[in-house]
Amino acid sequence: MESEELLLFAADAARMMLENGGETYRAEEIAMRIIASQGGMEPECFATNTGLMLSFAGEDGKVHSVVRRIKHRQMNLEKVSRLAKMAQALATDTMSFDEASSEMDAIERMREHTLSAKVGAGALGAAFFTLLFGGRLLDAGAAVAIGAILELALAAFQRWRLPDFLASLAGGALATLASLAVHYCGLPINTDVTVIGVIMLMVPGVAITNAIRDIIAGDLLAGLARGTDAFLTAAAISSGAGGVMALWRFLLPGVAR
Amino acid sequence: MSTAMLTFFGLLKGPLYAALGTLAISVLFGLCSADALLASCGAALGWTVRQAIPSGASIAFSSFAAAVATGLYSELVARFRHRPATVYMVSGIVPLVPGGGMYYTMLASVEGKTSQSLEIGMTAIMTAFAVATGLAVANTIDKLVLRPLFEGIGRRSPKVDGDRHNHA
Repeated sequence: MESEELLLFAADAARMMLENGGETYRAEEIAMRIIASQGGMEPECFATNTGLMLSFAGEDGKVHSVVRRIKHRQMNLEKVSRLAKMAQALATDTMSFDEASSEMDAIERMREHTLSAKVGAGALGAAFFTLLFGGRLLDAGAAVAIGAILELALAAFQRWRLPDFLASLAGGALATLASLAVHYCGLPINTDVTVIGVIMLMVPGVAITNAIRDIIAGDLLAGLARGTDAFLTAAAISSGAGGVMALWRFLLPGVAR
Repeated sequence: MSTAMLTFFGLLKGPLYAALGTLAISVLFGLCSADALLASCGAALGWTVRQAIPSGASIAFSSFAAAVATGLYSELVARFRHRPATVYMVSGIVPLVPGGGMYYTMLASVEGKTSQSLEIGMTAIMTAFAVATGLAVANTIDKLVLRPLFEGIGRRSPKVDGDRHNHA
């Protein structure tokens, strides 16, 4: 097998791991494991959540290296677990390189859940979190509608390639605006609980989890970058919500709840 | 229904809602059905622990304990399912993330109650750190205690570091 082919394959596996919400150390590990399994020598990988560098020495002693930037991040844990499984199978020789290549293609082309499934999940998730944080059935009912709208909006933001920060900002604003509007229309919902239930769909749980796992694994830089990601997302969501609240109070001072 | 039974079902409500909410979140994260169900069981476990901590303790502490429980559960399930532990952790801790804290911080600051806003904000940040620390503790316990115990069962992990030096 060509060294270049191996290099690009390993780099793509690591890139997909990072793009879909895998931990940084795991991305580095699968790249190095794939290369070592095919006889590459001295594999080294350095990854953060915005890019990775990978190099190894081929059998001829030449050093091969490649850089991959990561621009778009989304969540697909199913892809993460299939990638990890694939690298494991390669490393333990239960899968040939050709099989692994076609598995990679399959993972890359894997369908996401349909938009309607996502909207449904968003609606139910918002409702149950509203109930969890002390909402009544009426609040949960409002959260169903608002959660569905939010999930539709987030899908649209993703299609327009809106930066993550702006998407979270707009999402927080939308959730708050919709709750306040429902309350304004006369439905006596508790807007606080409803907004909290809905914004739980966007909270940076992933970034918090992976930041700490990266730091524990010794990837301090990657951990800090992810921590920043978590902090910025949280700041964006609450600024969106706060901005709308302030504007609402300013425009409709009499009806502020 | 007796009051004791009512209280009992009242206690079940929290974990149930946490599980169902997490199930929905897992779908958004692209998990398949069995993994989504397992992740939501982790969330229910975490929320049970959080409820079980006496109300005298701070939110940060109960979230810490809950995160340890969810983290350990995720590491265990990951071992038996041959999947990375993050898969279960990421969705399992979502109910513990201080979304409410974020919101009330903003609300207080919009209402001009700056000191109250700072206080709530600090609690929210503390809670987020507590969740993160809880996961770290769970990870360490897994490495030091559970992994040696379960040696041979589940995930076999050839050490990449070792390979690297052997080939060189």
